[in-house]
Amino acid sequence: MSRLVAEIPAPTGTEPVRAGRRRRGRQERLAYMILLPALGTVFVIVTIPFVIAVFQSISSDDGTLIGLSNYGRALSNPLLYEALRATGFYALIVLPTEILLGLAFALLVHRTVRRPGLRATLYVLAVLPLVVPPVAVGVVARLIYAPGYGVLNYLLQSAGITHSEIQWLGVPILAMGSVATVDIWQWTPFVYLVLFAGLQTVPRESVEAAQVDGATWWTQFIYIELHYLWPLFLLILFFRTADVLRVFDHVFILTGGGPGTTTQLLSLYMYRIEFKFFDAGQAAALAVLVLVSISILYALVTRALPLERA
Amino acid sequence: MQRITRREFVKRTAVTSAAFTSLPAILAACGTSTGTSNKPSKLVIAAVKGNEDAPLKKVVGKYKSETGITMEVVEFPYDQLFEKLVTTFQANGSSYDLCMMDDPWMPKFGTMGALQPLDSNFGFTRDSDIPTVVYDVGTWPPPHGPVPPTEQGKTQHLYGITIVGNVEMFMYRKDKSDAPKSWDDVLSNAAKYNAANFYGYVIRGKATNPVSSDSLPILWSFGGNIFDDNWKVQLDTPASIDAVTFLTRSLKKYAEPGAENTDAADRSRLMAIGQAYQSTVWPGEITDIVEDPSVSQVKGKVAYIPIPQGKSGKGLGMMGNWLLGIPKGSKNGSAAADFIKWMLKTDNMRNYVANGGIPIRKSILNDSSLASANPYFQALAQSFDAVPNWRPRTDQWNAVETSYGTAMNAAVAGQMSPQAAMQKAAGEIRTTMKAANYPS
Repeated sequence: MSRLVAEIPAPTGTEPVRAGRRRRGRQERLAYMILLPALGTVFVIVTIPFVIAVFQSISSDDGTLIGLSNYGRALSNPLLYEALRATGFYALIVLPTEILLGLAFALLVHRTVRRPGLRATLYVLAVLPLVVPPVAVGVVARLIYAPGYGVLNYLLQSAGITHSEIQWLGVPILAMGSVATVDIWQWTPFVYLVLFAGLQTVPRESVEAAQVDGATWWTQFIYIELHYLWPLFLLILFFRTADVLRVFDHVFILTGGGPGTTTQLLSLYMYRIEFKFFDAGQAAALAVLVLVSISILYALVTRALPLERA
Repeated sequence: MQRITRREFVKRTAVTSAAFTSLPAILAACGTSTGTSNKPSKLVIAAVKGNEDAPLKKVVGKYKSETGITMEVVEFPYDQLFEKLVTTFQANGSSYDLCMMDDPWMPKFGTMGALQPLDSNFGFTRDSDIPTVVYDVGTWPPPHGPVPPTEQGKTQHLYGITIVGNVEMFMYRKDKSDAPKSWDDVLSNAAKYNAANFYGYVIRGKATNPVSSDSLPILWSFGGNIFDDNWKVQLDTPASIDAVTFLTRSLKKYAEPGAENTDAADRSRLMAIGQAYQSTVWPGEITDIVEDPSVSQVKGKVAYIPIPQGKSGKGLGMMGNWLLGIPKGSKNGSAAADFIKWMLKTDNMRNYVANGGIPIRKSILNDSSLASANPYFQALAQSFDAVPNWRPRTDQWNAVETSYGTAMNAAVAGQMSPQAAMQKAAGEIRTTMKAANYPS
């Protein structure tokens, strides 16, 4: 006992600092403990599959390491460029449309709707499409566009606007338009919600000062509100671009990638390579390429975002 | 460091994940009784969701009452079932004691060595009341036709027994004309009966599997093919292009709008509501829609015949049998085999038919007392007798069908000419087969 007592260091002037460190150490350990389940889950469902994908992308079916051969095969397949063209075309339709429509709705509600109850109702209505499973959206869309029994053709013919069936899913340009409208319906509310939230952060006094100076709706938007919305546009563009690269469910249900390969977007193409051709190496190489592309895009967007500015 | 194969790597990862994810179940199971290894209390069947497994679900209750064994039917949509089975077999999983398999999947599963042989392991022998082709389609390597290079010289075994005796046939409105004998008759009838809101022919033209299934009997009957006996691609030969031109140009003139998006249910619906004259048909569509009085306006007005003759002088139907097999990973192989034997018994198959099942026993197909309730039985028996074609027995079939079915869809949509579509498909398929070490 005396020996133990002798080993206890004598009190010094640094005691409060050490106590603080111990406390911080305990807090850090607690923080890590709390984070552990989440990190473990991410490790199991993200890290392990990613490591497997990287391993598959550089190996043959029998496990032999073959370098970048799968990447070479993936990049030399002409069907990849058909899929990239289709994906690019799809993105060119949906991204500008969703952003413009979402912005228009956000501005409209921000400037014209004052009653909190109505605003809350619009908020709930905007959230609804976001929480509907994409598969259900695809099935409903098929009932709208399908040949023979599609609701849209029925309504158009009943109103006398058309006299014969329009092949929404059979004509290449219409098929792409049809699958794009489904995306626009489901994701324009997301843009609306983000931009509407951004508009709430615009200082009222700036707007009122501009209005006193005779600012119109347009100049008010261009010279004041747009500055507050700009980072949000980049954020939306990033999320929606990443989503476009993952679009699968409703396109698969509506057209299956057809007619021909017109609507075979990148995700459908990768599905085809993995689950129809069972070419795991090439599919893994494609998956890694897409992941790297999205990561680069993410890095560029986060650099452009003025989030850390003082 | 010892190098491991990819399969081994995936297997170890899957086993580790399975061990973690099943830990709660294992802990929960502690203290509860377990079944004996000889007679399990439950067998699990992986099945395709739809008219193919509906009768199976209806008869498994009888099996439980007779044996005490619960049959759990786990259903998946068509594509997902295949993917699920492939990934389960890759990990040698024991989740399923039995699996339903579409017959073109047999090459993939046979090549993978994923199934337990029914003949050598469980004593299955051929029954003369069941068509030979039914046993042949469940045998691997295939008893006739080209054999994949990796499978040549291997001993043949029976790995699957048909429980849904699907053969693709032809249907037409018998209240309007006699049976077409040839595809020329089909075309002239299509032209004759085509009218506003009444289509002379229905094309099942949706991309990949649907249009592939719809067009292959025509391709074969015209003397075309996907491969010859040496795995050389034949899709860009004059006979194949002629067949595709016939379907996508000549018959298309009288087909329903949106043929490129029409699947089996859409086709049957058009027949059932009296808006179509003729088409190819699978037995399941007949019982479920065309002859179902609750949804059909044409019950009794439609006749079913084997596929008409083409320019080759033959009419070749297509096998679409659904088989039951026992995965290698199953720990209840013997009990699973008993269930298959039970399903094949004549009395049980009659009960299966009474519940909407499609039989394979000739004695049942030719039983006149069942003909009125099942107007397609005679045509199905004739189709079995004529020995229908099966889809090429290659483990690359899914890839081949995807290339062919995508190009066919483009041709049906008018997006590509028949010749360009077949040249594109042929090119893709040659690349696929070459990569898989087939002669091309």
